[in-house]
Amino acid sequence: MTNPNQRTRAQIQSEAMSRRNFLKGAGACIAIPAFTSLLGSRALAALTAGPELATTATGAPLRTAFCFVPNGAIPAQWWPAAAGEGFALSPTLAPLQAVRKSVQVMGGLAQRNAIGGVDGGGDHARGNGVFLTSVRLNKSATDIRAGISIDQVMANRVGHLTRFSSLELCCDATRKSADCDSGYSCAYQYNLSWQSPSTPMPPEPNPRLAFERLFGEGLHGQRQQNSERRMMERKSILDFVMSDARTMQARMSSRDRDKLDQYLTGIRDVEKRILKAERFGPNSDPTRPTPVGVPQSEAEYVELMYDIMLLAFQTDSTRVATFVLGHDGDNRSFSEIGITEGHHDLSHHQGNPERMAKVAAIDKWYVEQFSRFLSKMDSIRDADGNTMLHNSQIVYGSGNADGNRHTHEDLPILMAGGAGGALKGDRYRKFSETPMSNLFLDMADNIGMRDLQHFGDSTGRLGLA
Amino acid sequence: MPHRRPRLAALLTALACAAAARVQAQAPDGSLASFEKVAQPILEDYCYNCHGDGNRKDGVDLDAFTSDSSVRNRALWMRVVRNVRVGIMPPAGEPRPDAEEEKTLMTWIKLRAFSLDPEHPDPGRVTLRRLNRIEYRNTVRDLTGVDFDTLKEFPADDTGQGFDDIADVLTVSPILLERYLDAAQTVIAEAVPTESRVEAAEVIAGRSFAPVAAALPAAAAAPAAAPAGPGPKAPVFARPAPMPSGRSLDLSYYTPVTVATDFRADHAGRYEVDVKLMAVEKYVDDQFDLNRCRLTFIIDGKAAVSQEFVRESDKDFDFTFTRDWAKGAHALAFRVDPLGPDKPQLRNLRLRVENVTVKGPDAREYWVPPANYARFFPRKVPYFGFERRRYAAELLDSFATRAYRRPVDTQTLGRLVDMATATSAQPGSTFEAGIAQAMVAVLASPRFVFREEPPEPLEAGQVYPMIDEYALATRLSYFLWSTMPDDELMALASRHELRRNLQAQVTRMLADPKSAQFVDNFTGQWLEARDIGTVQINPFAIYLREHPSETAEKALETFQRVNEIPEAQRTARDKADFRSARKAFFALYRLPKAQLTDPLRDAMREETEMDFNYVVRSDRSLLELIDCNYTFLNEVLARHYGIPGVTGKQMRRVILPPGSPRGGILTQGTTLTVTSNPTRTSPVKRGVFILDAILGAKPPPPPPNLPPLEDAAPPGKLRLMTLRENLKLHAKNPSCAACHLRMDPLGLALENFNAMGAWRDTEYNRPIDTAGRLITGEKFANIQELKHLLATKRHRDFYYCFTEKLMTYALGRTLDYYDVDTVDRLVGALEASGGRPSVLLRGIVESAAFQERRPPPREEMASDVAVPATAEN
Repeated sequence: MTNPNQRTRAQIQSEAMSRRNFLKGAGACIAIPAFTSLLGSRALAALTAGPELATTATGAPLRTAFCFVPNGAIPAQWWPAAAGEGFALSPTLAPLQAVRKSVQVMGGLAQRNAIGGVDGGGDHARGNGVFLTSVRLNKSATDIRAGISIDQVMANRVGHLTRFSSLELCCDATRKSADCDSGYSCAYQYNLSWQSPSTPMPPEPNPRLAFERLFGEGLHGQRQQNSERRMMERKSILDFVMSDARTMQARMSSRDRDKLDQYLTGIRDVEKRILKAERFGPNSDPTRPTPVGVPQSEAEYVELMYDIMLLAFQTDSTRVATFVLGHDGDNRSFSEIGITEGHHDLSHHQGNPERMAKVAAIDKWYVEQFSRFLSKMDSIRDADGNTMLHNSQIVYGSGNADGNRHTHEDLPILMAGGAGGALKGDRYRKFSETPMSNLFLDMADNIGMRDLQHFGDSTGRLGLA
Repeated sequence: MPHRRPRLAALLTALACAAAARVQAQAPDGSLASFEKVAQPILEDYCYNCHGDGNRKDGVDLDAFTSDSSVRNRALWMRVVRNVRVGIMPPAGEPRPDAEEEKTLMTWIKLRAFSLDPEHPDPGRVTLRRLNRIEYRNTVRDLTGVDFDTLKEFPADDTGQGFDDIADVLTVSPILLERYLDAAQTVIAEAVPTESRVEAAEVIAGRSFAPVAAALPAAAAAPAAAPAGPGPKAPVFARPAPMPSGRSLDLSYYTPVTVATDFRADHAGRYEVDVKLMAVEKYVDDQFDLNRCRLTFIIDGKAAVSQEFVRESDKDFDFTFTRDWAKGAHALAFRVDPLGPDKPQLRNLRLRVENVTVKGPDAREYWVPPANYARFFPRKVPYFGFERRRYAAELLDSFATRAYRRPVDTQTLGRLVDMATATSAQPGSTFEAGIAQAMVAVLASPRFVFREEPPEPLEAGQVYPMIDEYALATRLSYFLWSTMPDDELMALASRHELRRNLQAQVTRMLADPKSAQFVDNFTGQWLEARDIGTVQINPFAIYLREHPSETAEKALETFQRVNEIPEAQRTARDKADFRSARKAFFALYRLPKAQLTDPLRDAMREETEMDFNYVVRSDRSLLELIDCNYTFLNEVLARHYGIPGVTGKQMRRVILPPGSPRGGILTQGTTLTVTSNPTRTSPVKRGVFILDAILGAKPPPPPPNLPPLEDAAPPGKLRLMTLRENLKLHAKNPSCAACHLRMDPLGLALENFNAMGAWRDTEYNRPIDTAGRLITGEKFANIQELKHLLATKRHRDFYYCFTEKLMTYALGRTLDYYDVDTVDRLVGALEASGGRPSVLLRGIVESAAFQERRPPPREEMASDVAVPATAEN
């Protein structure tokens, strides 16, 4: 009666062990190719051209990333004591010391559409689903309606520049069965990125698959050939499946047609990828071994996924990425730092200092991993001689502010990177009950989408520069 | 279609008729007028104290209707239906409508508020449904024989209503589409041969290698003398014997052994011997195993390779040798020589012999058709082009029909044959490669990944058309097997005889081993049994609750104190404290204690699945799932439960000792564990589980900004306060009490079971109090009494709950107001039969919701206000 479809714990662990091997072999992380990032001549050529989409003033690629952490943060530990430049880091943000010159702490940003109101409970579903969409979610277990997320709005505009329009990653290797939060479909709680109001972009939890999708299957040296073969294989059946989809569509009612539209959209995406592959030539082939599976250690898992994102940016495989470190409401425990209770359970600490300390330790742990990622970004020189961090804009934050009370105002948000010089660092900006979507408009500006006037509940631009 | 909905449905209609006739006779036509005449008198007597005459408790007002359309407030009446049906309303202690009155009210709601037509039930709308990951995997396996691990390769399916087969939430993201294209390619490449003859190859599974007697050390499994040494636990030097692992054989680094087998060469010639090995280990955090060994692979008595191995976590090794062999037997052997001195055996290091493939002889005259050839190419490929084309059409027609689960039109078939022909015409290609290419296209097609359900023509007297027989075969097959219809279902559908033989087919399908998928997938989600494989539980924390230790408390305090001091500022004293705390803590940590091991987790899941399977297959009362005197155990699980006399790995049905708290899903390890937190039980989660999965009365989510209370105690007080005392805080706050009075007592009744489902008498040295009261008033002292109560007094609630869960799973959609009458009828029949699962399964399969669909024009109107099916208060 064993369900053959269920991956056993042993299987998961065995993958994990293999992955440790990968890490050991790779020297604890994907070592970064000793500069001359793998940029094609394209970006260098752009050095002389005028301002472009997702391109810095110097012509280097400008990357945008959104990193999401679950369950908010203990406000008293998160917020620095005083705003301004050269502010003193708070206990939770202390790990940012090394990269503080490239980080702004953003106070006072809110996702008002995540507030319950008439929709009642479900703050984790909303915290997650609203984070990048800034719209009110349709409260339903089955009728999914969110909004297109900001990363996808950007990807639609700048995606043609890279092999992949966008990249979606997560560290949610297992999903719980049964209902999700308070009558909301699980789709809201696990997906940050939305291609359309009804089509989430599921993030990839498996490092191997994420890596292989970017760079091809197999060993170093075989990957270009393998991915070319994949493209050819896909191409060979596109006509057939497209016409099957069209004949089917003709027979369908409108609701069913939506489902087929999703299929057709996917087909068109694959077509675009094939065209891009032809235009851009062979993909980059990092010398690293392909990761094997999901690591046992949480820290290794997170680091590996950050590394893959970094590698995707470095190879200019994409300029837009989202990373769900854990979906909102995530209840994993952190035995690596001596915390055996679940994160979500702990986050409802009721003011109990012991529990608050543990939550703050988890918050800090997440910031540490982020800081390590930023440091790596900061250590790699880009085509224009600046660091990759300088040529990126990276949002880090949570969809809940105070996990204990499920608030969505004053969200813990960091803005990292220089956006090619458009963003400053080393300061703590305090806004007053300002929609988070305003920040998205600034970010859109930075990548050359100045015509984006509204997003979600935006009221204007923050004016970050 | 005269064969549809036979006797059972007719009987149900008759039962419902009396009340219907009454409502019809009494009620004027207008909704408002009929409300005033039929429903209001009952509501006035039993509800208006809180929900009428100006009272609007919880925003529910049952007399503020001003027009016919305002009466038809479906969301409001759904709440009435749900709350009255399970006895939440009127509240315990208040006067309740008698059976007659309740029936009249319910019938009025169905006929007048919902405008249902019992003669022509609205089948509802199922959106075009794609295969979920499990269905895709099973379907591909049945279609091609390839086991493609979709759980790893495809993004997770979103769920709705607790199930992963809900059409509306099964979206197709660009990444999934990409994976579909690649999966089609991968599966066909693995399944379908592209050559007609290849060199013969025999795969010798690792486990066919047997120890050579003389080479087995006398003290094979006995531990060698442990060398003296410091440390809490002296390392034990075991000599594990070779151990089969699936089709492979694990050879321990620590045991000198030789295993061997023979290969018989039928012809003399050149052979290739390919050895596949993997170095495996048991992962242990932060501890490394420094043992080494030498492995020698021996062909016909001569070493072919001899290599030293250190710990090589999960690394693959592949060796290939070429030999010119005479006809006859050839000996193949592996020898392991441990390379002493023995180091602590921390990670159970093993070399896994996966297989040895012998290929040959290489001379073409001995080549054979590849494995699987006959499965896809039953005949020899014809020589002439036109015959080839005909053969291609025949092969692809059969494959596409099975893949699309309905006959394929000639146009599509023509395109497939064209594709196959074009591919095989390419240089170096073959006829087979062309067919394979067309098969890839079929597997990637939306007609494969989506389940299209065309209707039959509407017949006289029908309001809703039936889905055609192929669609019905598909619904049945994915419901009961989670896979594609088999040949028999397809043959019946092609002859238009499936509906006529529906009952016989359901019986056959349930008897088929494939129905294990229904058991696994339904219980896996209904009871969350799937999660037992991955749920995080900390055995040490659980242990400490039952064996409180001051040493541990103090050590934890020290850790916390020192950890808060930045590394650089710690004094020597801090460091010493830390070290000694750590030492004390780990001494406790290493004490033997119950662990949630993989074999235990597996046994738990199997217990739940086997229990459900037993009740369904033996057609016993569903109430046995709640209360019975047996369960399914093996030695590991029986020991965990403290039940003596069960030995061995085999799971089996065990009659429980009298008075045992076990028996039934509530006290199974899966349920008790998946509803726990990593460090403790959660009576609230357990209570919610019982309300949701058993009683069908899932409480609404906690209001915003009101987090759970069960941990709201100052740290010092925490240990002095039991969870029960803690939870009592709920009762004090009226906004908490409304729901917590429903769930907390249910969860607390299970407090004798710890977070891993093992029995305990105390927590923090204090006795456990399990007594409580249902919201409907019934009292119980312990879990045995609660189970008895649920199975006797609240059995209808369970029938309703179970029926709705099963229907949701079967239909792949949310139940709505138009399903209320169908559910009533199904529950009526289920109750009349004494809870027999066959009655319910058949009833669902015969229901309009399963058999029919709304015609497209009506779908387009989208006029229905969706009513969430989750219970609300």
